Amino acid sequence: MRVVIDPQRCTGHGRCYVVAPGLFSDDDAGFGQVAGDGRLAPDGLAEAERAVAACPEQAVSVVDEPGGAAATV
Amino acid sequence: MATDTGFRLNDAPMPEDRTAGWGFVRAQGDVVQEIDGTWLLTSAEAVRFAHRHPEIFSSAKAFDSLGSPVPLIPLAVDPPDHKKFRRVLDPMFAPRVVNAMEAALRAQVRDLVSAFAATGRCEVVADLGRLYPTQVFLTLFGMPLEDRDRFIEWVETIVENAGRDASGEPSPEVMAAAVALFTYLQGHVDAKRANPGDDLLSQVLALSGDDAWTNDEVLGLCFLFTLAGLDTVTAAIGFVMLHLARRPDLRAQLVADPALIGPTIEEVLRLELPAPITPRVVLVDVEVCGTLLPAGAQVGLCLATANREPGWFGHADDVDLSQADGGHLSFGGGIHRCLGSHLARRELRLVVEEFHRQIPDYGIAPGAEPRVAWPSGTLHLTALPLVFPVGDQA
Repeated sequence: MRVVIDPQRCTGHGRCYVVAPGLFSDDDAGFGQVAGDGRLAPDGLAEAERAVAACPEQAVSVVDEPGGAAATV
Repeated sequence: MATDTGFRLNDAPMPEDRTAGWGFVRAQGDVVQEIDGTWLLTSAEAVRFAHRHPEIFSSAKAFDSLGSPVPLIPLAVDPPDHKKFRRVLDPMFAPRVVNAMEAALRAQVRDLVSAFAATGRCEVVADLGRLYPTQVFLTLFGMPLEDRDRFIEWVETIVENAGRDASGEPSPEVMAAAVALFTYLQGHVDAKRANPGDDLLSQVLALSGDDAWTNDEVLGLCFLFTLAGLDTVTAAIGFVMLHLARRPDLRAQLVADPALIGPTIEEVLRLELPAPITPRVVLVDVEVCGTLLPAGAQVGLCLATANREPGWFGHADDVDLSQADGGHLSFGGGIHRCLGSHLARRELRLVVEEFHRQIPDYGIAPGAEPRVAWPSGTLHLTALPLVFPVGDQA
């Protein structure tokens, strides 16, 4: 599983990299970006779900496989 | 268009208790029309829909009644022009920019707290909340801190009287304050054009070619910041301190573990919104949650009720750190997400950190009953007097 940010929804609240700094970082404009390829470590789901919940735009999700269906919306 | 709904937002029982006030509003339905014809979207679903459709819910037309002489950049701008401004401004208000200012901003709030820490009492709104956001603005825009008090006076005169007079004619006092403020801002714009500094204003003025802003747009950015970025932070400082004053258990937790400061601020922001309702104008007929809004309708997006949506937060009306960071909408959403959100959050954290470093224990002054001014566009406490022991705390 991996985390993804929907760029159509993200407007730069910046909550993902605050609550899940291991999975996201901030860019020059303060928008979140997925660190690396976003793949979750075996114990990484809880951190990912914090970011999913914290996003006011519902722009963060956990997907099963690259390009796969969202497991958490 | 007058209707017979009988609903007046101003009737909400808001002053002492926002839970009662917003509960009254939410009970009217997902989409409700006020007696004056204005619509309110109260559910999270309705608010999100509006946030995601700026092509339907115009912000550009929503602030005409303010009668601003300059365009309110970037708030009162619709797509596609909006992007031109945010592309430039977002990096100027990004967390890494705020990080670079943090030491200076921390020192300023430390000094403000030191001024009353030995006296055993303070009035949070007047002694801290009013002063600090304006100092931050002056720092960010490269203007002298010595101008703080007259700057505050101009802005408060304008803000407190904004939209009050149904005739739309500003009073002589407001006109005088507006002229003084714009003269002041223009003076600094001219000075920085001639001798740029490393401040935000100089960076905007340095934009060239297709990116260059007109003089009115630059003034509009300054003016919007003073309308949207000062009394909102003043209000939030008051609300955070109010909740901490009422919750000694929470305060003790937070003093013991500063990592809880952020979640505490998020929960208070969710419940106590300085800007609880954001205006839009509907450009085309649109159905929201089963209700048809006609083109031209004035609409308020009620972020305050959306944040208390039943089923979203387990304890929807209480500060509960276990549900902090649940994605509240207090900084708005969509393309007009509060430009200053990162700065505002940092100001709040620095206030809480530095206040509690010097004054870990305090209470509301005996006899005081903190309340918000109501009706009011921005919600803020009128006063928050605190008392605390002095002596061995420093």
